Amino acid sequence: MRVLKISVAGVRGIIGQTLTPELLVDFGQAFGTYLGGGRVLLSCDTRRSGPMVSASVRAGLMAAGCEVVDLGICPTAALQLAIKDSPATGGIAVTAGHNDASWNALKFIRDDGIFLNPRQSEELLDIYHLGRFSDAHWDELRPLQTDPQAGERHLEAVLAQVDRAAIRARDFTVAVDCANGACSLYTPRLLEALGCRVVAINTETHLPFPHPPQPSPENLSQLQALVRATDAAVGFAHDADGDRLGVVSETGAPAGEEATMCLCTEMILRRGDPGSVVTNYSTSLAVEEVARRYGRVVHRTGIGQAFITEAALNYQAAIAGEGSGGVVFPRLNYAHDGQAAMVHVLNLMAQSGASLSELIAEVVPRLVMAKRELPCPSEQAYSVLQRLRQEPEPAWVTDRLQEDGLLLRGDRRWVHVRVSQTEPIIRVIVETPTAEETDQLLQQYLTKVRRAM
Amino acid sequence: MPGIRTLKTGISGVRGVVGESFTPQLVSALGQAFGTYLTGGRVALGRDTRPSGEMVREALTGALLASGCRVVDLGVVPVPTLQIAISRSDNYDGGIAITASHNPQEWNALKFIRADGVFLYPYQAEELLNVFHQGDFTLVPNEEIGDLHYDDTALDLHLGLLLENIDVELIRRRRFRVVVDCCNGAGTKLAPRLLEELGCEVTVLNGEPTGHFARPPEPLPANLGALAAAVPELGADLGFAQDADADRLAVIDERGLPISEEFTVPLSAEVVAARGPLPLVTNLSASRLLEEVGRRWGCPVFRAKVGEINVVEMMQAEARAWGQAGHEPAAFGGEGNGGVIDPRLHYCRDSHRGMCLILEGLARREQKLSEWVAGFPPAAMVKLRVECPAARVQRVQLALREAYAGEGSLDETEGLRISWPDGSWLHVRPSNTEAIIRIMAEADTEPEARARGEHAQHLIEAALR
Repeated sequence: MRVLKISVAGVRGIIGQTLTPELLVDFGQAFGTYLGGGRVLLSCDTRRSGPMVSASVRAGLMAAGCEVVDLGICPTAALQLAIKDSPATGGIAVTAGHNDASWNALKFIRDDGIFLNPRQSEELLDIYHLGRFSDAHWDELRPLQTDPQAGERHLEAVLAQVDRAAIRARDFTVAVDCANGACSLYTPRLLEALGCRVVAINTETHLPFPHPPQPSPENLSQLQALVRATDAAVGFAHDADGDRLGVVSETGAPAGEEATMCLCTEMILRRGDPGSVVTNYSTSLAVEEVARRYGRVVHRTGIGQAFITEAALNYQAAIAGEGSGGVVFPRLNYAHDGQAAMVHVLNLMAQSGASLSELIAEVVPRLVMAKRELPCPSEQAYSVLQRLRQEPEPAWVTDRLQEDGLLLRGDRRWVHVRVSQTEPIIRVIVETPTAEETDQLLQQYLTKVRRAM
Repeated sequence: MPGIRTLKTGISGVRGVVGESFTPQLVSALGQAFGTYLTGGRVALGRDTRPSGEMVREALTGALLASGCRVVDLGVVPVPTLQIAISRSDNYDGGIAITASHNPQEWNALKFIRADGVFLYPYQAEELLNVFHQGDFTLVPNEEIGDLHYDDTALDLHLGLLLENIDVELIRRRRFRVVVDCCNGAGTKLAPRLLEELGCEVTVLNGEPTGHFARPPEPLPANLGALAAAVPELGADLGFAQDADADRLAVIDERGLPISEEFTVPLSAEVVAARGPLPLVTNLSASRLLEEVGRRWGCPVFRAKVGEINVVEMMQAEARAWGQAGHEPAAFGGEGNGGVIDPRLHYCRDSHRGMCLILEGLARREQKLSEWVAGFPPAAMVKLRVECPAARVQRVQLALREAYAGEGSLDETEGLRISWPDGSWLHVRPSNTEAIIRIMAEADTEPEARARGEHAQHLIEAALR
């Protein structure tokens, strides 16, 4: 695995190896140069390396003449909201999201609070590679500002999105696992403001992550036990910077990563928010079935938060998001926002009166997804893909997309073969209505990929 | 003609021009080099008020944390405050002062401090620079990354020590009227408070810590016009001027006349020596006024190479020797540029200690400052310079040694220093920071001093032809 990844999704690397202070200073100054100065907001998650990374980036930004405002530890969505609501020219989230603690990363945000799109990222990378940065004159350097209230303002904005009285009336017991991440400081209070009895674990921001900070089913065992032990109506799990949300039903069973997006889409469309639904190519067809019930169009995008938010803006979508549990509520903010997803799930539970497991059974269409990855050297990956594209299509395929690898779609089934942007692997993702069919299709395509290699 | 280089890397630290050579990349690499040199531990940071100070602090913080150091930021503090905080605590393994001291405001610099609060000795600074140039820095994994803390107690600690080591009641009784020019520098954080604690009626000039210096920060008479005007206008007893990081002190008498910064250490020394003899140490280029103090109070006087750390090293050696000779180990000294070093507080230059001593001296003597100064025998100093490429310095040295053979007594500790029986002396030495040779001469009168200096200048020019 390459341990430094400089791409349109930002800069990711391993502390002590590739994400060095020099690199961070350079990227800070390159971004300051790209923005042409102005006010730049910065936040970080709870990784031990956060202050090191932030300080180095701030030095670069300040040297380029930017007025840096440090928000400290807060969810990335709160940073994005603060940027949108201020005259800032941009911002940087210091977070490696769901990656393990040895990683950290910079995610670059433009003045409207949205991540740089691929064209903008390329421009930034050109400046970085060229190495000719703006050097502010000594009297153009601006003092460092702080804004410790951005997380609070975001909390208020999130609460304003939902029917607080309806949720309060239900007196929910809610279990939450903050993974010792950025939401530790905010989510318990967010839930208390909704009248919930909160049972929170892993809310110590100075401690290491208790488990990989990705809210996928394999990391939810602690939360599942907590839900059962406390008879909670629901359990929620955050990642390190709060963009993704995992859900556990009152039975203690993980709802599945894809359920978060489906439940939120159901809530937003049931409420009647106008607009289409945006999701990426690798997200479950279940979302489309939810949208179809409300007569809404679904737009699919490439994999990556920047693609989702840009499309949500372009199509003026009612909701956007992806199967990994990151959901965008355009009425609030063009950001993947786990806390907003959480309150919308509660709102749906409150309005329907049903238990979460009943809601999932009713709302989330039963489809079975499987994902597998095959190691493949980056330099071979595209020829493998090209060979697959040239194969004859199976009879069940009604629709074919090649913008992001190869995506073949049919009636309630699809297969997606794509090259990872972050690791030297090829991913195969399959979804059908039954476990047998899914496994069969997956094996078939794994064999095809292996043969093409 | 060689221009002034905008980056100076040497044993006294690394200086550069912000927006040109003093880049965050450079500072980050230096921070990592220092972290690597220390192999972890706790590092204190302090800075003067320059607008670039925060940028530099950020770059250093990132670099030190990445190398596994823990960082404690003391904020904007005088350099002596930082050094004292380090010296009085067992918690620190080193420190970095972010200040270009008396340099113009577009400059900034790093000065590296050891666990005992003293600047790196020359051989240690060489080691650090070797680490920096090799560029193979320690980087620790995430779980070993250090933490960042803030400490705002250093100013109180320094103020307490200043007041403990002076006759506060004596000074308070005199209710001195004092004008202090803090140069919008780090001294703004301490000097006005100190003077008020000493019962002075204080008027502060350039007292906002903006880092936009209202005058060039070097406390030379030419830069102190506003202070010199204010002192007689306000009927003050004296005026004090600091540089940006408050290590150097210059004094204005009650008539508004700047007395040379060469007087700052001798006046302070006289107050200390009056309590009992002790070794006095200054550098080879400082005025002979200190020898006069030594004669009056029975103190031996020693001269070290130019540079604070050289004076400090000699003071430490002489204090030890003084103790071995059966006295209480002690020394006092400083440099001719107004840098008072009193080990009772710490082995660092401290303008505030100078203020305390001069005020106590005035209180004890019941004299005006101009009268105290007039009690010294007349002396005049001349400072000249000749451009000289580093490669030809030795030729100059040889020519001068030959020309001055048999005259006066010769000291070749650093360049050449000749002293004549009439009390005049000449010091010729290559600059550490520019491609020039500096000439210092002192005699009873200005024309005599100038004659000494210009003679040397002609000899050098001839040797270079």
